[in-house]
Amino acid sequence: MSHNKSLRVATAAVALALAGTTGFAMAAQVPAGVKLAAKQELIRNTGSEPESLDPVLAESVPANTITMDLFEGLTATDSFGKVMPGVAESWKQTSPTTWVFKLRKNAKWSDGSTVTASDFVYGWQRFVEPKTASPYASTYGIFILNGKEITEGKKPASSLGVKAVDKYTLEVQTPYPVPFMPSLVANTQLAPLPKATIDKFGKDWTKPGKMVSNGAFALKDWQVNSKVVVEKNAQYWDVKNVQLGKITYLPIEDHNADVKLYESGENDWVLELPSGTYDKYKAQYPKEIRNAPFLGLRYYSLNNKDPLLKDVRVRKALSMVIDRDILAKKVTADGQAPAYSAIVAGTAGADVTSYDWAKWPMAKRVEEAKKLLAEAGVKPGSKLKFAYNTSDYHKKMAIFAASEWKSKLGLNTELESLEFKVLLKKRHDADYQIARNGWVADYNDATTFLALVQCDNDQNDNKNCNAKAEALIKQGSDSTDQAKRKQLFTQAVKMIMDDYPMIPLLQYTAPRLVKSYVGGYGKNPMDRYRGKDLYIIQH
Amino acid sequence: MWSYTFRRVLATIPTLLAVITVCYLLLHLTPGGPFDGERKVSAAVLANLQAKYHLDLPLWQQYLYYIKSLLQGDLGASFRYADWSVNDLVGKALPVSAAIGGGAIVISLFIGVALGIVAALRQNSIIDYLVMLLGNIGGAFPSFVLGPVLVMVFAIGLEWLPAGGWDDFSLRYMVLPIALLVFINISTIGRVMRGSMIEVLSSNFIRTARAKGLPMRTIVLRHALKPALMPVVSVIGPLAISSITAAVVTETVFGLPGLGKLIVNGAANRDYTLVLGLVVLVTVITVVLNLLVDLAYALLDPKIRY
Repeated sequence: MSHNKSLRVATAAVALALAGTTGFAMAAQVPAGVKLAAKQELIRNTGSEPESLDPVLAESVPANTITMDLFEGLTATDSFGKVMPGVAESWKQTSPTTWVFKLRKNAKWSDGSTVTASDFVYGWQRFVEPKTASPYASTYGIFILNGKEITEGKKPASSLGVKAVDKYTLEVQTPYPVPFMPSLVANTQLAPLPKATIDKFGKDWTKPGKMVSNGAFALKDWQVNSKVVVEKNAQYWDVKNVQLGKITYLPIEDHNADVKLYESGENDWVLELPSGTYDKYKAQYPKEIRNAPFLGLRYYSLNNKDPLLKDVRVRKALSMVIDRDILAKKVTADGQAPAYSAIVAGTAGADVTSYDWAKWPMAKRVEEAKKLLAEAGVKPGSKLKFAYNTSDYHKKMAIFAASEWKSKLGLNTELESLEFKVLLKKRHDADYQIARNGWVADYNDATTFLALVQCDNDQNDNKNCNAKAEALIKQGSDSTDQAKRKQLFTQAVKMIMDDYPMIPLLQYTAPRLVKSYVGGYGKNPMDRYRGKDLYIIQH
Repeated sequence: MWSYTFRRVLATIPTLLAVITVCYLLLHLTPGGPFDGERKVSAAVLANLQAKYHLDLPLWQQYLYYIKSLLQGDLGASFRYADWSVNDLVGKALPVSAAIGGGAIVISLFIGVALGIVAALRQNSIIDYLVMLLGNIGGAFPSFVLGPVLVMVFAIGLEWLPAGGWDDFSLRYMVLPIALLVFINISTIGRVMRGSMIEVLSSNFIRTARAKGLPMRTIVLRHALKPALMPVVSVIGPLAISSITAAVVTETVFGLPGLGKLIVNGAANRDYTLVLGLVVLVTVITVVLNLLVDLAYALLDPKIRY
């Protein structure tokens, strides 16, 4: 089956699923004619040491990459980012705020016991329980009835809106309609958990020899800062379609060291190329370079409470003069696309908006921006302060932005390079004027990006608030009509972006090297690749 | 000597306490906390996290809590690596660093001393210049340049050795990192040894030995080596400490799971307990190595008595 065909099948699956009917099992597909290698072993760099292999404590991308292979939720996403059945073989939205998931009877834990609905109830309650202190508890927990109150300690975990109707039926209540529920439950924070194992071993339950998991792979070895090794889980319900026998995850942080290991044959998967090397490696390894946009936005936060930036004309002028095309093609030069909205291409639940001036010639944009600054009383020579976290990549972008503001508007920018944690603190506390920022979607729905610009949202570093847009978002959230919800969200985003709360710059891509013999690598908007969907081609 | 050793060990207790206190305060004064992330956790979740790690207590209570668990040999739970205790993490990283750093320091001592002696005996000859040039290359090129060069030549070019990684003390994975550290260390040891040996060789007792007609080999090995080693011993302590505990670049270039990487990541993640645990460890290693250096003086110079 070609990639295109598998994409069509996957799309059909998700269409069926989202329509509230049943999904169907869809395994890793090896195209006809492809000969598999005898040795099905993959080595991939995840970029850093996982902070935990407990799915509810896993926060970073590296940790989630591994827990996605060890655990499987009600659904899963394939290499194209499509929602596929996981432990649940079908699901249905029975009322605006109720979802019913039918679990497959052959889903097993790695110790051979059956995965039941009560394993999900236990896992989800543990996830939102304040004592567990999961960093994601409030991010995903708010979509389950009483989840918010439980994380705040106002209600007991037992009041969570999830119920085992019988051994293989799980009913989920939400506080308001959550149309993206099938995509949300693919996250392994919402996977089932083995209560007996956790009770027996406590914190040590995630160690090799002790962990019991229900994913396509089981934990074999974990050497801190060296490697995590998993092997095919013989008990997995779809094991016949799992090709890889073993995956080794490396925690290499240094991009150059990552490439060196790749070139010497000790790594099949470079997570991220060193800054400024994309063109070089693209020419050197044309068959191995992989690059696709995913749901992530690079942007600059503008402190809307700052004395200078509280004037929307100033914020607009700063945004207008940054030439995203040059930034994408010449400065970052790694295939990223210009962005003019808080929503990036490929996001479900809202359309990407843009600005009229995005199509204007730069001279006209500069002229308009100068006029706006003059109206706001900002004179050439005024000072801006820009904070970014120490990194060649961010520095390069910051210098470009500063030069745009200097050459086009005559504004002087003081660049402040900060350690990452210091920048995060300053950003969250609004102790900055302009700051580098970025966001990668947690699930494929517009709400994950709306959080960046919504009033009083924890993720809103700009501290902007548009009450009218907020009302539209509320209206959209309460709506059961998907088309209306999308239209309201799009309208709200447009309204917010016209306030210029931030400067959207680029949509993330994932430029990396993956050996040409690694099959099953698709264009995934979530940049998530499960070992189940990958295979090694004969080479 | 035993009472001297005992006194020195006792003296480490106030040193350790002072180091821990200063480090503790500095860590808590640094902006940004362990739970500041790209995704800001809600106030409720932050409160839950802080309660889990006792960060909701007043600072002095947290400090006493830490000291109490330290006295029980418990370095605490890591803030970042939730599945591991600091004892686990340090216990896994220390043997790696000790093997790489310790191995490198022993090899560099032998090679550095030998090169220093050769250069001193053939002072201002072509051999002297070559030896010193070799030593200076190690000193002049930073490890983040030399390391990748070694990888390019021996791992990617010749394919003799792995480009990095770690496999249970397999020698193949240790050769390049040790070679890099040796290259850097021998420049210091070689130069110090050369200078010291030249000085010793021009002293009166060596002239006497020569006058008695002793062969040069006997003069160097039996009479000149011991006194000439004194300055080398002085530099070996700091070199060993940095090779074992601060080989951050080497660990990064070769992807080694050692202490240096833990320290850097611990500080970047504001993993208070991990950083403090490593500070305790580095302090103890420093005290022990300095003590060994002082005791080595007594072995080399009979005039020194403790």
